[in-house]
Order: sequence, then C-alpha cells, then structure tokens
Amino acid sequence: MGAAAKPPVLQLDRIVSGYDGLDVLKGISLTVHAGEFVTVVGPNGHGKSTLLKTISGLVPLRGGQISIDGQRLSGKPHETAMLGVAHVPQGDMLFAQMSVLENLLMGAYLAPDKAGITRRLDEVYALLPKLADRRGQIASSLSGGERRMVGIGRGLMMGGRILLIDEPSLGLAPLIIDQVYGVISELSKAGRTILLVEENPARVEDLADRLHLLDDGAIVWSGKPAELMARDELLATYLGG
Amino acid sequence: MVDVLMAILVAGFTSGALYALATVGLSLVWGSMGMLNMAHAAMLTLGGYVAFTVITSLGLPIALGFAGAIIAGAVAGAILYFAIVRNLLKNDKSTFEANVMIATVGIGIALENAILLTYGGQPLKQPVSIVGTFRLGPLTLPWQNLMIIAVVVVMMVVVSLALGRTRMGRAIRATAQNRDAAQLMGVAVNRVYLQVLMLSGALAGICGVMVSSMTQLSPPLGNDPMLKAFIMCVVAGLGNLPGAVAAALGLALLESFVQYALGARWGFPSLLFVVIAVLIWRPSGLFGRAEIRRM
Repeated sequence: MGAAAKPPVLQLDRIVSGYDGLDVLKGISLTVHAGEFVTVVGPNGHGKSTLLKTISGLVPLRGGQISIDGQRLSGKPHETAMLGVAHVPQGDMLFAQMSVLENLLMGAYLAPDKAGITRRLDEVYALLPKLADRRGQIASSLSGGERRMVGIGRGLMMGGRILLIDEPSLGLAPLIIDQVYGVISELSKAGRTILLVEENPARVEDLADRLHLLDDGAIVWSGKPAELMARDELLATYLGG
Repeated sequence: MVDVLMAILVAGFTSGALYALATVGLSLVWGSMGMLNMAHAAMLTLGGYVAFTVITSLGLPIALGFAGAIIAGAVAGAILYFAIVRNLLKNDKSTFEANVMIATVGIGIALENAILLTYGGQPLKQPVSIVGTFRLGPLTLPWQNLMIIAVVVVMMVVVSLALGRTRMGRAIRATAQNRDAAQLMGVAVNRVYLQVLMLSGALAGICGVMVSSMTQLSPPLGNDPMLKAFIMCVVAGLGNLPGAVAAALGLALLESFVQYALGARWGFPSLLFVVIAVLIWRPSGLFGRAEIRRM
C-alpha cells in the first residue's frame, strides 16, 4: 500500500492565519498520510514557518480547520502536542539553560511511563549518538549543528503521530546539513510521518514523497519533487531558479 | 571584636535569609511569567496575620500557624491568577508586563487595607518566636535567628528540589526559558503560571511569619522586605534564582556591616548605591543575561 493510500494523519482544510491585521496563509489545504514524507517549499517570508506554527497552535487559526487522525485541533499548542504533533521549530528553540538530556526529557514531558521514556531515549541516542556524548552539556554551549540535532531528538522524544520540521538546513554548514538530512532520511525510511518546510527543493528531491510549492501564503503547485525539479519555469518564477 | 563581628554576621545572615525568601518568590514569578508582582508585599503581610490568627485567636499550635500562612499565600496567588493574570494574558502580550504591574499595585493596596480594616493599625506581637540564646564556643546566638535561618534553608531546599527534580519544576523551568517551546512539548503554560503564583504566594506567606517574628505585625509589614527584595532581584538579574539568593545574602551582610560602621540610617542607602552601580555597569544584573528586544 502506497503512503497516499494509507489513512490521513494530518488534514488542513482551507486554513487562514497570520499576524496582527495581516493574513499570511490564505486558504491552504493539504493532507499528509501515515508514513508519508511531504515537503512544502517556497521562498523566504511566504508563510512556510507560519504554516507549521499554525498547525502546532503557536499562531492562531483564523479560518478553515486542522485535524489529526480526523480529530479537529483546538488551537492550543499543548493540546495539539497531546494529539501527537511534534514540532521541530526553526532556530531550534531549545531550553538554553538545560542540559542536552533535560532538553530531550522535556520532549517526553507527556510520556506516561518511565520505561517508555528510557526506550525513546535509547532510540534517539542510537540515531544521534553524538547526543549521548553531549548529554550533560548545557544546550546554549552547543554548536549550531548540535543544537539542530537536539531539536530533532527532542521532537523524536515526543513520539508523536507526525513530525513537523522547519527548515532544518537554515544557517548550517553544508557538511552539517548533509548530516541533518541523513538523520531525517533515516526517520522517513523507518516509517515516520513527516511534514517538512524548506527553501531549497533540491535538498528533498530524493527524500520527499510529495511536494507543495508555497507562494504568498497559497499553494501554487503540487506534485513529485522530481517533477518540480524538471520545471525550470516554476523554479525560476517562484524560487529564483 | 570577634563578638561584634559574629553579631554582625548573624544579623546579616538572618536578614539575608529573610530577603532571600522574599526575593526568590519575586524572581520566580518574573523569571517564568515576565510579571513584577507588586502585591507580593501584601501577600507576605497576609501570611503573617493568618499565622497570628491561627495561633492566637484559634489557639492552634505554631506548626499549624505556618501551615495556615503557606495555604493563605498559595490561595492568594491562585486568586491573583484567576482574577487578574489569566484575563490580562488573553490580551495583547506586549502590554502584559505594564498592565499586570499596575493591576497588582491595586491588588496590593486593597489587600493591605483589608488587613487594616480587619485587624486595625496597631502593631501586634507575632507569637511565633523563640526566646533565649545558646552558646557556641565564645559566641552567644539567639535561638530566634537560628530558627529563621533553619526555616529558610528548609524552604530553599524544598523549592530547589521542586524545581530541579519534579515534573512540575521541569515545566516551570522550561516555561521560563522558552515559553513557546514549552507549549510545543505539551506544557500547559497557564497551569504553570498558576503553580508559580501559588508557590510564590506560599513563600511570601512563610516569609511574612518570619519577618513579623523579628519585628511586629502591622499592615505595611511587607513593604520594607519587598522593596529590598526588588533591589536584590535587580542586583542579581531578574529571574535568576541562585543569583537572587546570593545577592540577598551578600547585600544583607553589606547592610549589617554598614549599619554597624556608619550608623543604621546608612544601611538602606548603601543598598541603593549598589543597585545604581549595578544598573550603570551591568544593567542585566550581576548574574543576569543581556536581553535584546527588537522594537
């Protein structure tokens, strides 16, 4: 069964949201199925981060509706997290004065049992072994790449139904970007449901199942990543070539 | 000379312990909520009077007087949250700091006057006191001071364990460090705010019992310790709990030494001098981190 034939995990139905008097997202609809890797690409300032923040509840929804496994979201971030939305935000948003281990444990804040937390921690350390070495280090003293790994690890500790990842390559050196995307690729192969936003479609060409092109708060094209990469006029118009 | 020095140290540590208790409550609220609770002084006074009522009017043991003060402070914190803070948080976040400061000034005045109407303005003697002294080598130390230091140390250990070892404490620290990220992890920040105000109120309540045991009960009881607690919060860096304790002890010792060397009237000005110097040379406080706000 292909990913798209599996039941939808996340459904956005004509969502509108923004800041102050300005609508940033203008009626976006998309669906992410179980085990699917969906990417939204678009230029800076066109609503990619706002999209993820609206799903997780950090930016209030003004119109439309969002549902997880058919259950409509309340718009409160902690209740959205309880329904299994794990958001790895742009800029990491780590707890700067906590250790790596404490940051990871905060990811498991909603986990009901200690055994489950230990199991998740072991899984995260297996995927991101550097975090095990750095477990006692204060988050603010980590490098940019390490912070990004902690952010992803913390998202994995949430053990949610869907992982929202916001521009994982932002501000990182090319070598580190490759490492970060290597981890994301592993997660996808392991069957994780992922919605990722990214400015550069080439980064996800070999990873994503489907891709949506976002421009000025609206989806202007959807398809396979390879199809977009073959459409020079789309790349030139919306992503500057 | 050694006797004098030790007397100053004991007085300084006792004051420092009391200031630390008041400062930690204030700092906890600022650090996790960005809220200057101007009603903290009145909550402190409330604790002192509730303990007085439980012990003197109801004739119950002193331990229940402490429990009453803690409960009264925590309940006052909860009422403050439900009546004021929760509603202000629904408004524009950028106006919260100023609005809540003004609102809590009003709450503080109302509470202080309610206490004045209930108990009158005459000073009352707090029954929580231990008379007598004990000898430690060449030193003679009052039991009362020792009790205050012991109670404050116990409270600090309890707060430290609550913040460091419990799920609630982790949520409070996470919210203080990054509110949005805490929400993404599933932390209900409004519940955290309620818990913080209740914890801070409980600390204020017990601090009120301790302060009034050294002086007397009167409606403006909390004003002086809170003013000094504010100074210590600013010197430490707002929201920094270990720094607040260190600043409270350091400044209380300084105040005691200055009062001995230059006279009692120079004690408070010496604290003001320190806070002005810190604001000039290190505006984020001795232990605080600089914060950049884009306007």
